[in-house]
Amino acid sequence: MADTLAKQVQQACEQLDQVILGKAQQVRLAVTCLLSGGHLLIEDLPGMGKTTLAHALASVFGLADSRIQFTSDMLPADILGVSVFDAPSGAFVFHPGPVFTQLLLADEINRTTPKTQSALLEAMEEGQVTQDGETRQLPDPFFVIATQNPLTQFGTFPLPESQLDRFLMRINLGYPSPEAERTLLMRGDTLSRRQRLPAVLSPEKLREAQQACQQVHASSDLIHYVQRLVQYTREGDGFSYGVSPRGALALLRCARSWAWLHERQHVVPEDVQRVLEPVVGHRIRAAEDMAGHTSARLVSELLSRVDVMASG
Amino acid sequence: MKQVSVKPVDKLSRSAVLWQLIACVAVVLPNVVWLPAWVLLLGAGCIAARVMIHTGRWSFPHWSLRLLLVVAAAAGLLVSFNRDASLNAMVALLTVGLALKLLEIYRRRDALVLLYVALFVAATVFLFEQSLLMAVYMCVAVLAVIAALVSVWQDPLREEMLRPLKLASRMLLPALPLMLVLFFLFPRIGPLWSVELDRSAARTGLSDSMAPGDISRLTRSDELAFRAVFEGEPPAPSLRYWRVLVLSAFDGRSWTVGSSSARGAEVLDVQGETLTYEIVQEPSRQRWLYALDVPLAAPPQAQLTMPRTLVSANEVSQRIQYSLTSAPAYQLATQLSQAERRAYTQLPSRGNPRSRELVSTWLNESQGDVVTLIDQILAYFHASFVYTLEPMALGEHSVDEFLFDTRQGFCEHFASATAFMLRAADIPARVVTGYQGGEWNTTQRYLTLRQYDAHAWVEVWIEGQGWQRLDPTAAVAPERIEMSADQLFSGQAGFLADSPLSARRLIRQGWLLQARMRYDALNFAWQRWVLNYHHQQQNLLQDWLGGITPWKMVLALLVPGALVLGWLAWRLLRWPQPQDPLQRHLQRLLQRVARQGFQRQPDETLNRFVARVAAHSPALAEILQPVAEAYEQLHYAPSTDAQARQRLLAAMRQAETRLKS
Repeated sequence: MADTLAKQVQQACEQLDQVILGKAQQVRLAVTCLLSGGHLLIEDLPGMGKTTLAHALASVFGLADSRIQFTSDMLPADILGVSVFDAPSGAFVFHPGPVFTQLLLADEINRTTPKTQSALLEAMEEGQVTQDGETRQLPDPFFVIATQNPLTQFGTFPLPESQLDRFLMRINLGYPSPEAERTLLMRGDTLSRRQRLPAVLSPEKLREAQQACQQVHASSDLIHYVQRLVQYTREGDGFSYGVSPRGALALLRCARSWAWLHERQHVVPEDVQRVLEPVVGHRIRAAEDMAGHTSARLVSELLSRVDVMASG
Repeated sequence: MKQVSVKPVDKLSRSAVLWQLIACVAVVLPNVVWLPAWVLLLGAGCIAARVMIHTGRWSFPHWSLRLLLVVAAAAGLLVSFNRDASLNAMVALLTVGLALKLLEIYRRRDALVLLYVALFVAATVFLFEQSLLMAVYMCVAVLAVIAALVSVWQDPLREEMLRPLKLASRMLLPALPLMLVLFFLFPRIGPLWSVELDRSAARTGLSDSMAPGDISRLTRSDELAFRAVFEGEPPAPSLRYWRVLVLSAFDGRSWTVGSSSARGAEVLDVQGETLTYEIVQEPSRQRWLYALDVPLAAPPQAQLTMPRTLVSANEVSQRIQYSLTSAPAYQLATQLSQAERRAYTQLPSRGNPRSRELVSTWLNESQGDVVTLIDQILAYFHASFVYTLEPMALGEHSVDEFLFDTRQGFCEHFASATAFMLRAADIPARVVTGYQGGEWNTTQRYLTLRQYDAHAWVEVWIEGQGWQRLDPTAAVAPERIEMSADQLFSGQAGFLADSPLSARRLIRQGWLLQARMRYDALNFAWQRWVLNYHHQQQNLLQDWLGGITPWKMVLALLVPGALVLGWLAWRLLRWPQPQDPLQRHLQRLLQRVARQGFQRQPDETLNRFVARVAAHSPALAEILQPVAEAYEQLHYAPSTDAQARQRLLAAMRQAETRLKS
């Protein structure tokens, strides 16, 4: 059963590949994030297909989706919803905001103020919204794909570290390869294609798959490896701060999903290495004297310093 | 039979069991020559049982069977050794214990007990034999025991035989400097207690009395008596008379030392040059020492007797070394007191009538001239007597029967008869026993005297000349004096009858003889410089350190120990080795691959590494692929059992052999 389920998810990935050309790796990472039940942050320049990916994911997994385009003048109520006085009933009636959906695309999250960002991030963490002293459950599954422009762009509010930590993964899409781009140009508009994507899976199947992922075996040797990696970010030179225990858990969780997606019954170090950069990249920060390093370079240094086969 | 369950943790590998057997056999082997046959049979049986138990064909014996074996073995020891708590009995007991312990090796601790006892047995071997070859052999045997100890502690999955040996050699190597320091500096302390060596296996050698047949019996043995080292040329063969005992009392059948007077040594008038030499004497369990005819003075711890033989203050129970000077040409005791004269002409009042009659006839013919009488005696022997190793038994009138009936004898017969006849003619005479001749070793310039060189001759006192050596054997068989006993007797039946496999019996010429001489010389050097090192040690320490003080000793022992330990610690810190034997094995394998130009990066798992290697060298990748798979299976797959380890080990071993070829 697990096999067929994994196969179905792989089929879904292949469907996505039809829309997001030449980004098989990123597509599978996004699916892994979804399988791990975490939120995804896509960081890239405008027009790289972030929104397309989010929409395609929602269609393929059969999820209800909504989209918020963040602007600098948005308020929390614009996301969460608002209680309006209903004169005939003489009571406040809650009008749910766009957050009440299964897959929320939060476009350009760093264009809005920290206050509004916090409102969304709290909803992401708690899986519920508290408004006017009343707590309302968000649907399950609830999955946020936030996109943000690189921080060097003008007019952005960078996400604080504590809030970055709430995203399970951060991925970059990057420019497409020349072949992929040629195909894209020849095919023209992607919008219509995306809308025609059939739903391969249902939310129930997704939940089942999420459970199956966490059944994947992680041996003590593998857990030692994960721990050594995390330890190195805390003790190694060149890190101003390291990965939190939540980050360590996230790493193992994603490695499990990645292994499951590739039809393995146990996690191997390669799985950890594959998901390491997306999971850990936004949770570490280079020390001051290594300011020139991007997180990708830090992660590759981390990989090369921690011996995967060391005993213990 | 009850099945004893063994915890897998304590399981011993197949190579560990084999090493234990090898170690046990190696340490017992030198004692095989004297151990009772049933002990050897028991040992062989236990080894066979151990093999059967280990291969699972038999189960461990029930406790009642083991108890039965213990009781039977104890009873056997009591019978074999006649309830004598000798050293041999003790070593036999240890050996039996070693053999029986083989039947109950359930876990690691039992194997350790076995090997510790084996080390003890190894040490006892030196109580019986201390030759150079034995020392070399025991080094090998101890190496085997250490290898067995190593194998006991190794991973139960390991089955290579050579690895424990290599490891043991590497462990013993750092112990070498410490051993040398201990050898050179550790004071030789006398034993606090000692156990008598088995009396029944007492040393063969001269005794303080001489009856017909005593000395010819000695020719059955090739046991070493002593060696004499000469600075210059050795004396001519005809002068190699080694004086041990002077026998002056005769009871009609045997000669004994007789009552010794308290007077000092007889006066010696040296004529010509003296010879200085050194004697290395084997333990004889007697007090007398050996000297070339005739010694000038006694070495320390010994004294000269009246007839100029040497007596040590203590029984010679271990190999000793002493330096002597002798005068080959001499005049001894030109004056004889009345009492001495009486003593040296004493004979039993009756017995041997025919001999007395013969002597009186001769005396009449020679008109009392001593020299003529002696010539007559020697001529008589020369005419019709046979010199043989196996003379016939003699009865009550031993001299008569020898002179008139059997007419065949060995040196003691001739010496005894001659001394008797001289005394019958009222001429002072005495029998001297000792050794004659010796084998000259040219490489190391020493003479080797063995029990078969034992000899007896006569000293006769002649007015104005003192005591003169008179060897009647020389009249009958001059070749005995000119040749070595070895060459002379080789064809005769009784010679070396007690040592049928003696090398001396088999090797008499050619390069084999050369080789034997060289080995003998080497062994002698070993005995003089290594075993007897304590003589030199005192002087050496005096020279080097200005005497031994406790703190100097401690310093001398601590400094090398600290150096060795420091080096080991440095090594361990420098190259931390993974504790898991599989990891170590893998590291070795990867080092071997690295030498072919492929270095695994820290972030590369074996699978990724193999994939990278495959891009450049598919053949090498193909060899490594099974290892990578087994490694992943063992380290990351859900069920990691012992079989997974076994599979990885097998894969690594196979890869290693394929890499080598």
